[in-house]
Amino acid sequence: MKKKAKKKAAEDKQNTLAELLKKHGAQIYDDLDKGNFPKFSIPSRSVSNIVYDKKIRQYILGSNTAVRSSRNTSQLRAFTQLMWLAFFANRLTGQKKSSTLRDVYYSSQAFAVDFEDQSESDNIIVDLEAVLSSPRESFHVFPEERSSVFGDLTIEYTVPGYEGKKTNLSDHPDGYAIGPSLTSSEFTETSAEVVIAIEKGGLFTRFVEEQVDKKFKAIIVDTGGQAPRSTRTLLKRLHDELSLPVVILTDGDVYGEHIAMVIKSGSANAAHLRELTVPDAKWVGVWATDIEKYKLPTIPMTESDIKRCHDLLKDPRYQEGLWKKELEVFIKIKRKAELEAFSKYGLTNITDKYLPQKLEIAKSL
Amino acid sequence: MSSKETFNQISPSEFFYRNRDLAGFSNPTRSLYTAVREFVENSLDACDHGGILPDVHMSIKAVDAEKPDPKQYILKVTDNGPGIESKHVPLAFGTVLYGSKFGLKQARGMFGLGATMAILYGQITTNKPVIVKSGTDGKIQDEYEMLLDIQKNKPVILKHETKETAKTGLSVSICLEGDYAKAGSKIRDYVYQTSLITPYATITFDDPKGEKYRYTKVIRTMPPSPTIIRPHPHGIDVETIRRMLSDTNYQIPTVDDKMISKVRKELGISNKNLNHSEIMNKAQKKWKTLTRPVRVVIAVMSFLKMDFEKLSKTTIEDVDIGNKKLTYWDFGESQSISVDMDPESEYYKQIANTVQGETLTSFLTKRFQRVGNTTAQKFAEYSKFKPEQRIGTMTNQELVKLTDSLQSFDDFMAPDPSCLAPLGESPLEKGMQRFFEPDFLAVVQRGASAYSGFPFVIEMGIAYGGKISSRGMKVYRFANRIPLLYDEGSDVVLKVVNDTDWSRYKIKGDPPLVIVSHICSTRVPYKTVGKENVADRPEIERELKLALLSLSRKLSSFMSKRGQAEAAIKRKNLYSKYIPLIAQFCTELAGKKKEPNYKKMITEEPIVEEES
Repeated sequence: MKKKAKKKAAEDKQNTLAELLKKHGAQIYDDLDKGNFPKFSIPSRSVSNIVYDKKIRQYILGSNTAVRSSRNTSQLRAFTQLMWLAFFANRLTGQKKSSTLRDVYYSSQAFAVDFEDQSESDNIIVDLEAVLSSPRESFHVFPEERSSVFGDLTIEYTVPGYEGKKTNLSDHPDGYAIGPSLTSSEFTETSAEVVIAIEKGGLFTRFVEEQVDKKFKAIIVDTGGQAPRSTRTLLKRLHDELSLPVVILTDGDVYGEHIAMVIKSGSANAAHLRELTVPDAKWVGVWATDIEKYKLPTIPMTESDIKRCHDLLKDPRYQEGLWKKELEVFIKIKRKAELEAFSKYGLTNITDKYLPQKLEIAKSL
Repeated sequence: MSSKETFNQISPSEFFYRNRDLAGFSNPTRSLYTAVREFVENSLDACDHGGILPDVHMSIKAVDAEKPDPKQYILKVTDNGPGIESKHVPLAFGTVLYGSKFGLKQARGMFGLGATMAILYGQITTNKPVIVKSGTDGKIQDEYEMLLDIQKNKPVILKHETKETAKTGLSVSICLEGDYAKAGSKIRDYVYQTSLITPYATITFDDPKGEKYRYTKVIRTMPPSPTIIRPHPHGIDVETIRRMLSDTNYQIPTVDDKMISKVRKELGISNKNLNHSEIMNKAQKKWKTLTRPVRVVIAVMSFLKMDFEKLSKTTIEDVDIGNKKLTYWDFGESQSISVDMDPESEYYKQIANTVQGETLTSFLTKRFQRVGNTTAQKFAEYSKFKPEQRIGTMTNQELVKLTDSLQSFDDFMAPDPSCLAPLGESPLEKGMQRFFEPDFLAVVQRGASAYSGFPFVIEMGIAYGGKISSRGMKVYRFANRIPLLYDEGSDVVLKVVNDTDWSRYKIKGDPPLVIVSHICSTRVPYKTVGKENVADRPEIERELKLALLSLSRKLSSFMSKRGQAEAAIKRKNLYSKYIPLIAQFCTELAGKKKEPNYKKMITEEPIVEEES
C-alpha cells in the first residue's frame, strides 16, 4: 500500500518561521525608531516553571515569562546576542544554508557580537527556540551527531541544488544519515506500515540484513542511544504526516526505558518545544519482565543504575502502567540485559522470534 | 642604716640629668626627635599666645657630615613669636622648672620643661652652649650663649650681646648628639602632620641631607585662643586644694615697698603723702575697686594706725584671730609690738576672712568654674560640711574628705570648654583640602564634653579619593594640635575606626581614605608616659564614635552618588556599543533598508530606571 504524504508541509513551516522573525524584527525596529528601548518576553525556563502536561503527555513551560529589556544593562548583552541570532537564523533560512551549534558560536565573531564560550551561545539558541516555539533545526541549526534511517520511503529534497530530486530511503543498505537535507525534505511515498526505532547501530544493521523492512513493512530508525532532536523530529513527522505507528526497541535497562520515554514525551530540557514528541510511540522492549521470560544473559546493575531507577520513579510520567511496573521489576531483580543478549539463541532470533511477538503485543498496548 | 650615711638634696637639673629617659631623651634617635618637638611646640605655643600667625623655621645640620650616625647635629628653631624679655632668657633656658605654662588651659606642652631638657641633653652629649636670640620690641635683639650649671640649677652666661633688629621672635640653637638616619622619617612625619593640624602656620624644615620641606599657611586667621579658667571640682586632688588655700590672695601679704606702691597706686595717691586718717577715708571711698591684697593691707593699717612712711618700717609677725591681737616688728624701735583688733570692725572681718579663709560656699562659687550658690549648698549637705565653715580652718582629714566629696558629687555642671582651643571646622577642612586634594571631604566639630572633670572637644575630618593613594585607610591622630606618631595600635581612635563596619558605608578593600582625628582637652588621658596614645575613656570613645558616624554617613551618600554616576557612564558605554548592533540586526530582520533613528538613545543621558 502506497501512501501519499501531505504536500509542502516543511515549506509552510519555514514560511511561518520567516514571518515570525520578521514580525519580531519589525517590532524592535519600530521601538528603536521611536526612541524606546525594545523588549520582549521569553517563557521562563527555570525549573519551577517546567510542568508536566498530562493532556499532551509531555513537559511544558508554565505561564511564567521573563522580560528581556535592552534598557537593563545586565540584559543588554544577551538581548543583542538574541537579536543577532534571530538575524543570523533569518539569513540561514533565507539562504537555505545549514549550521551547527559550534558554527553559530564562531559566526558571531564576524558581527562583533561576543560570546564568552559556546555554552553561552547554546543558551541563546535555546532562548530563540523558546521565543519562536520552534526547534533550532527549523532555523537550520543542526546537531553534530547523526543517526540513520532505512526503509521504503521516497523523499523529495528542498535543499538548494537538490530541489525536486527524489530518493528512496531503501536504496542504500547502510541507511541514510538523518541530516538537514533529509529532515527538510518532503515525504512523497511509502509502503511502510510501522516505524521501528532501535537504540543501537549494530542491531539496525542486523535488521537491514534480515530485511525487517520488507518482512514487517517497516521503516527502521537508528536512534544512536538517546535520540537526537532531528531524529525525534523525523519520528514525529513519520507518525503525523504518514500516520505510521512508532515502536521502540531498547536495551533492557533503565536508560533504555528512558530513551523510549524521551521519544514519546520529550525531556524537561526541551519543555519549550512541542514538535519533538510522539506521544503514541510504544516501547516494546527489552522489558525487565522479558529478562525472566526469555531467560536472557544479564549483567548486574551498578549503584548509579539503581539510583537512576529511584529517580525516575519520582517522575510523573512513570507513575502508572508499564512504565512504573518495569522500573519496579528492574529494582527488584537488580540486573539488566542488552539487545544483543538474544544472540544467545542465534543471530536471527531477535528478528525471527522476538520482534514479531513484540509487534503483536504493541497493537494491544 | 648606717649613721654615716649622708643625705643630699639634688637640684631639679640634677634630677632630670639622672632621669633623662623619662622626658624622652633615652637615646640619640629619640632625643633628636624629642628636641625637635619641644622647640617647635614651644614656638607654636608662643605665637598662639601672642596672637601671631606662626612662621617657624627649623633646620638640622650635621657638625661633620662625613661621620656616621649617631653624631653631633646643630638643631635650630626660629619663630616670629613675641620673644622672651631679655632678663627672663637666662632663667627660661638655663633653669629646669622655670615655665610660663602653669595654668589651666589647653596648650601643646604642659610646663615648657622640654626645651630646657633638650638644652641639658645637648650640653651633656656635646658640651656645647645653647645660643638663644630673642627680640620682643622689634628694635633690639638679645643674644645669649649659655651653659647650665647642673648641680646648682643655674644658668652660666658665656656671652651676652645686643643687636639692632626689625623683628620679634625667638631663635634657639643647640648642638646635640643625634641619629638622623633613624629619626629622620619620624621628624619629617612630625613636621608634615604638625602643618596639617596648624593650617594657619608656615613651617619649614631643612634637613641634614639638604632636603627642604615647605608648608605655607593656608589660612590667615588665628583660631580663637583659649582662656585660662578655674578648675572643675571633679578634676581636683588634695594637693590642688592645698595650693588653692595657700594662694597668695588668702594670706596676709608681705608689706614691702612693692606692695606699698601697689596700694598707693590703687588708691590713686602714688605721689601724695597723706596721714593715716586721710588714707583711711580715701580707702573707704575706693573700697569697691580695690584688689583683695590691698584691702587686707588697708585693714591691717586701720589697726596699726600708721601712714605709709611708718608702715614701710614694719613687718607683720602674727595675726591671732582667737585673741584678736595683731603683732608686728618695728624696725625703728627693734621690738615686737601687739595691738588689739576690734571684732566689730569691718576691717577685723576682712583680716579674719583672709586668715581663716572663705566659707565653704564662697570658696566653691568663687574658686571653681560653674558652681552657683544652690549647687554649693547642695554640696555642703551632700558632703556633711557646714556651708559657713571656714576653709582655712580645715584639718588634713577634712581636706581629704572635701576632695573625695568634690570628686564624687554628681550635680556639678559639665566642665567649661572655653579653656579649649579646637582648630575649628573651616581651618581643618582647608588644611585637609591642601594636603590631600580629595574628591570628597567632610569635617565635624563635636560639642564640648567631659571626662572626670576635664573638658574635651573632638574634631574629625574624613577625606576620600583624589590624590590620596589607595593603599588603604590612613588615620592621623592629634591631641592638642600635636601629632601622635607612635603606639598607634592601642589608641582609642584606632579602636573606634577599626570597630566600624566600613562596608556599610560602601567602603571596600584598600580605600583611598584619610581620617584626621583631633582631641582637645586640658588633660588628654594618655595611656603611657610617652604620650603617644589616648586611653579609651568611655566618654571620649562615645564622642569619637558619634563624630565618625556623622562623617561616614556623608561619605556613604557621596559614595552612592559616585556609584550612580559611574553606573550612568557604564550604561551609556554599553548602550553605545550594543544599540547600533541591535539596530543593524533588526533592520535586516524587518526587511527595511534604512536603520531606525536610534542616535538620540545613546547620546542623551539615559533615565535611571532599572528593571529587575
